[in-house]
Amino acid sequence: MTCSVKTTLRRSDIRRHPAISFPARPGRAFWLGFSLAGSLLAVPVVTAAPSSIQNDFSDNAVLATLPDVSPNLSSAPKNVDELADEVQQLIGQARKTGDPRFLGYAERLLGDWPEPDFTDRLRVLRATLAQSLHRFDLARQDLERVLQTTDQRRQRIQSRLTLANLELVQGRYVKAREHCQALADLYPGLIAASCLAQTEARTGRAESAYRRLRGQLASASNADPTSQLWAEGTLGDLAAQLGLDSAAVHWGAVLQQSPDDLYTRAQLADWQLQASNLQATLALTKGYDQVDALAVIRAIALREAGAPEAEALADSLRERFAEAQWRGTLLHQRDFARFQLDIENRPALALKHALANWETQREPLDTRLVLRAAQSAADQSALKRLQQWLAQYDQTDHRYPETP
Amino acid sequence: MLLRAHILRLPMFLWLLALANPVLAHKASDSFMYLDTDSGQFRIDVALRDLALLVPLDTNRDGEVTGGEFRQHRGAVLNAIEAGITLSTGNSACELQGEQWGISQHSDGAYAATRYQALCDGGQAPDRLEYHLLFEHDSLHRGLIQISTGETSSLAVAGPDSRTVDLRPSGRSGLWLSFTTFLQEGVVHLLIGLDHILFLLVLVLPASLTRNQPTTSPRLWLPSRAQVIELSAVVTAFTVAHSITLALAALKIVSLPIAWVETVIAASIVVAAVNVVWPVLGRRTWPLAFGFGLIHGFGFASVLSDLTSGTANLAVALAGFNVGVELGQLALLAICFPLLTLLAQATPLYQRALVPVILLGVVGVSLMWVWERIPAV
Repeated sequence: MTCSVKTTLRRSDIRRHPAISFPARPGRAFWLGFSLAGSLLAVPVVTAAPSSIQNDFSDNAVLATLPDVSPNLSSAPKNVDELADEVQQLIGQARKTGDPRFLGYAERLLGDWPEPDFTDRLRVLRATLAQSLHRFDLARQDLERVLQTTDQRRQRIQSRLTLANLELVQGRYVKAREHCQALADLYPGLIAASCLAQTEARTGRAESAYRRLRGQLASASNADPTSQLWAEGTLGDLAAQLGLDSAAVHWGAVLQQSPDDLYTRAQLADWQLQASNLQATLALTKGYDQVDALAVIRAIALREAGAPEAEALADSLRERFAEAQWRGTLLHQRDFARFQLDIENRPALALKHALANWETQREPLDTRLVLRAAQSAADQSALKRLQQWLAQYDQTDHRYPETP
Repeated sequence: MLLRAHILRLPMFLWLLALANPVLAHKASDSFMYLDTDSGQFRIDVALRDLALLVPLDTNRDGEVTGGEFRQHRGAVLNAIEAGITLSTGNSACELQGEQWGISQHSDGAYAATRYQALCDGGQAPDRLEYHLLFEHDSLHRGLIQISTGETSSLAVAGPDSRTVDLRPSGRSGLWLSFTTFLQEGVVHLLIGLDHILFLLVLVLPASLTRNQPTTSPRLWLPSRAQVIELSAVVTAFTVAHSITLALAALKIVSLPIAWVETVIAASIVVAAVNVVWPVLGRRTWPLAFGFGLIHGFGFASVLSDLTSGTANLAVALAGFNVGVELGQLALLAICFPLLTLLAQATPLYQRALVPVILLGVVGVSLMWVWERIPAV
């Protein structure tokens, strides 16, 4: 099972993401679209026979490595601040590692807390969690309530930023822009500038947005490092959209500062793969086989490079996806769709899942995938629908396939 | 990761800086269970990482679970797992008798794997699973279970809001599923079973020859009324006959040695083909279809019994398979018969040359089958 927050790989999620987190862009990882559960039925769930039970392991063999952070098993949180701290830590850990178990621990803790005792901070955390689990409407509900009622500036900022990201990821650029603007009024700086630049870039003004943000970053040399890094990552996104080689430079700078930024790592690896820089792709994805998004990119690169280990990785992904389908509700559809398209060569199945993913998430890589799948499957009506949407927002991206 | 915490004066964010981050497995937390309802064998695999939330596996707290540590906690591990699952029949819980214990591998690493024999009241199969493991720690944990009954298996998932899993072959949907599954098998078996197809072809050949008068219809391929009646008689007779023997054999009321059945089937094709030219058994084809249909039914039954071993709903399987055979048969005729009719209308060569050639070919192939299938006595 795949799933994963990991997959989440949203800039906000993983990177600079303070607990107040920069808005978690919806974790794609967890795909909880129950409505889509039905669509899984179309793919036969193949369960291989379970592996045999071994008991001849040696006493010295390391069977499992435990995470550094585990939920506090000894005592329940005593007060609301303790609870919030722990939930925040678990969400942060989920984003850093891409491991969805931490979200399950966090949700369990929040579930025990009586609703009337929820504070604004807890609501923001719950919304962040909901977003990671793709429960976008629940996230919105909590955040909008906090915006209406809170008197804490910090929670207001956090809510604005998270909402802006949520709307951006879902492709609602008008709403996203409102939130970015409100954020700029509330908390001016590179974060708000990045937010505005993203909405502009996705609505036909990528070039001016890139130029302006680059200028703002250059003239904000005394800004705090996190904000600088955030802007740098956004510049990478915009440069990639424009097809500029500087994308790799911007993203590379971010990765140098925070190598655990899975979102940026996946963006850069994808960029290198699209440019057929297979060695660079393999270097970026090495050691990340457990992160679905990176593992799928790696599997494609290995196959293109004709590497002997390509099949082994593809097999392990197959097993993971089969387990995910058994589980049913948790599936990272984008990675699954890409795997079907580029490894299994099943464009129709890939299109189905890419479209389901696109219903809730419309970042450039989501849109590119569904465009590619629709072309491979020669589905004119899907293509037409996508093109209408792109035209509506005047959105162009250098990474999108040429349309006939 | 650097934070803008100091600007916002939110020192609480600083916790992020301190954490190193190994890349961990990113699969969500699942336990895997496998139940064979026929034998009562039950296996459960729980990730060591999850188990570490229930049992302090990492005795020396070095962040690793070694083989020795795992062995040391064997009793506690089994207790924890057994406390989280209950198999039951009716209202009484089944006893779990441990049979094997160790480690297994899943896509994200090592799991503690235990195999049990479920001992239920009256030696019955368990019909219900209650699963509670780990939900109190991880709301996203799931118990995935594969339930095997004979050749068929189904998958189910236990979650915090659905802790009870019904293990019985499910009611309506299960029946419908086995009906459609066997229906497909029936279609497939007819279409890949060349002997049944050849027999059918030989039976309908005479009907394709009956329309000698030039037709007034421009649609030459459309069979005449007389042809349709003749065809229906043949198909109905064949169907009724093989349905009778298929049922008798599948329900184990009659059983014949399969080797002889196969031989007679091959011979029946030879006889039917010869009868087209020299109607030793009469000109009416339907009695022939009925007579030999009886033996073909036993042939279908042998395939069906390979497929149904252990199937609870034999009647449903039988009905599905039979309907599948009929559908396959009708589909084949719907395509082939108009073709034959068209050929018969289009050229006299059909009757004079093509039909004899087809018959000769069929007789040749069938004789070969008879020779191959005849059991060594």
